[in-house]
Formats: sequence, C-alpha cells, structure tokens
Amino acid sequence: MITPQAQEDRVRQILSDLTNVPPADIRAGDRLREDLGLDSVGSMELLSMLAEEFDIDVEMEEAAAVADVAGLMALARRHLG
Amino acid sequence: MNTLVLGSAGFLGLNLVDALRAAGLDPLCARRKRTNVIPLRSRRARMVNVDLDDAASIREAMTGIDVVFHLAGHYPRHSQDGLVAMETGLRQMQNVLDAGAEAGIKRMVYVSSTATVAPSPSGYSTESDVFLVAPGFGVYHDLKWLMERRAAAERRYEVRIACPGACIGPWDLRLGTSALVVAAARRLDVAHPDGIVAVVDSADAAKGIMQQGLLADAPARALLVGGNYRLHAMRVALHERYGVPAPGAPIGASEAKALADAEESRALREHRRGALSREIVDLIVHGLPIDASLATRALGITWSPLSTTLDRFDAWARQMRIIPPLENVA
Repeated sequence: MITPQAQEDRVRQILSDLTNVPPADIRAGDRLREDLGLDSVGSMELLSMLAEEFDIDVEMEEAAAVADVAGLMALARRHLG
Repeated sequence: MNTLVLGSAGFLGLNLVDALRAAGLDPLCARRKRTNVIPLRSRRARMVNVDLDDAASIREAMTGIDVVFHLAGHYPRHSQDGLVAMETGLRQMQNVLDAGAEAGIKRMVYVSSTATVAPSPSGYSTESDVFLVAPGFGVYHDLKWLMERRAAAERRYEVRIACPGACIGPWDLRLGTSALVVAAARRLDVAHPDGIVAVVDSADAAKGIMQQGLLADAPARALLVGGNYRLHAMRVALHERYGVPAPGAPIGASEAKALADAEESRALREHRRGALSREIVDLIVHGLPIDASLATRALGITWSPLSTTLDRFDAWARQMRIIPPLENVA
C-alpha cells in the first residue's frame, strides 16, 4: 500500500509534469487555475492522470469540485485510504 | 459487431459511446495518452491508447474491428498557423484511412462538419451541396473540406461522412457551442457577429453517427441538424431564459474576424483560451440553413426541440459546476 508521503510526492510530481512548476514549489494552498495556471481542461487532465496513476474511480462531479492542491491531496487520500 | 471509436474521450465521442452501449454494443474506446478519461473510466469502457501520428497504434486498435467511428479529426484550435494545421490534419487523416485498409475494417464513419456544406440555390442546403474547391473562409473551413474530400475518396472500404451541426449537450467539457449557454448563465456578454447557426442535440448527432455506422443501407453523407437559428435571436432567448440583461447588438463580420484574430494572438502569447475564436466567427458568418430531412428519413432520427436540449445541457452543466448553482443565479 502506498504511504501518505509517497501519495503526496506522486501528486506533486504529476502536477509538476503538467505545470512545469518544480514539485518543491507546489504548496497545499495553491489554486489549480489561478496559481498553477491550469485551465479547466488541464485541471481535468490532471484529475484523470491521478485516477489512472492510482487506479481510483473518480466521478466527474467530484473531479470538478477540486480547486486547489489541498483538494487534490484530499481526494487522493479519500480514495486510497 | 466490433466497433472502435476514435476520439471517444471527447464531447461527441462520449455521446456516441453512450449511444452504442445503449444499442447493446461494447465499443473499443481509443484515447490519447494525455486526455481526460474520467468519464470513460466511470463507464468501465474498454480503452486503447492511440496516437494518430503513430500508424502502428491505429492499426493495432483497428485489428478485428468491423466499423470505425472517426471523431478524432484534427481540430485547429487557432487559425494562426494554417499550413501546420493543414499538414497535421491531412497526415493524420491519411494515417487513419491507411490503418483501416491494413486492418481490414469493413466500414468507417468519418465525422466531418457542416462547415463543408456549400450554399444551395434553393435556400436550404442538403447532402448534395459540396464545395468544389476549398471554401477559403479560414483555416477551419479549408481543413475540414480537405479532410472530408480525402475521406470521401477512400475506395479500399466503405467510408460514410457525417456532418453534425453545432452540437449542444452533456460532456461538452471544452465548451464549444455550449459556451453560448454558459456565457448567458454567467451573465457574460461576449461580442458576436450574427449569422445562421445549425444546431443539433449531441445525443441526436450521436444517434445519427451510430446509425450511419450500423445500418446496412445509409447515406454516404448525412447532415445532422435539428434546427436553424439566427445567432443573435438565439442569444437573446438564452439571456431571457437565464433572466439576465439582453446581449449587446451583433458586431459586423469584419470587426468580428479582426477581434477573433487579435484574441487568438493574445491567447497564444498568454497560453490561454481567447474569448472569441476565428473558426467560430467563420462558422457564424458563413452559416447556412440546412435541410436534414435525409437524416430524419434514412437514419430514423427525431430531432430534439431546442428547449429540451438546453434543459439537458443545463442540468449537466450545473452538476459539473460549469454553470453556477441555481441559488447563485439572479
């Protein structure tokens, strides 16, 4: 089972791949659109990559509600336990 | 019957996947490596990675397939680099057509656009109205015309062409025509030119595309349009529907093209989407009234009333938070 720290590291790495922001510079309070520059399509791609990476079932409604890095981490925790 | 949907993660693709599954089929869903597959995953769809620049990946996905639905034709997101768009679109189209021949498919439905429909002397255009040369309105129209011509020339197996109008409905996550609805709901008034918009409910378009693929006898080219509307009148009705002030008067075609070109330049510089894109302006300015009675007869489609289409889109968009919750709308 993946540890919480490994989960968080992987989420930061995926975010970094999409945004070109170094993982260490990504803060929990960063907003996906305003701070990390992802548009709505990019945000959905991010959630999709996360769902595939961790093989979790995310519904679109749930994905659409994620607005910041903290929300992303919370979603991963919810599904991975 | 084994079916493959190229472009299955997109707006119309998801509607088609739903239609095929409702008809008892289990389509193989081709997706790009980097795309939003959450809706496909939640449908437990069978997926395969396909890159239209990788002939082997297309051929492999098509192996054992009877009918291919090609909804992944290149869509130029801007008009600033027409030559690259043309080259990309035609190269990928040829890759798909060749892969179909090599894999031994029986039929392909290529989903084109009403942008390829030429004016009719009788007023309403039909399937027989085709531009003899590229329309020359802009990159989008010319590329769609070139790609459709290439697809229609395929002789190694049967290719049928579907030309859906401006689609409105659930799963338009990138907001094409549905952006008009969202703008009204969000009290945004983006300047638009006026012209005729041939609208179709996404579920009706999907049914038409499906029938073209599945029926033994179906038209080689089908126009899928539920109704023809003047854009400004439609925007006024949308603003009334959402109880927001009426939109400003339409701007002229030249002004709209200049505005869209400037917006596209800005969007490219700032890596964001512009408020108005050139292909939308071209589609509106050169929009034609379309007679879709052939699709009604031959494909058995009953076109949804626009109000039903708007209700369906609204319900979905609120679920997806694309439109604010009802309590936030004045």
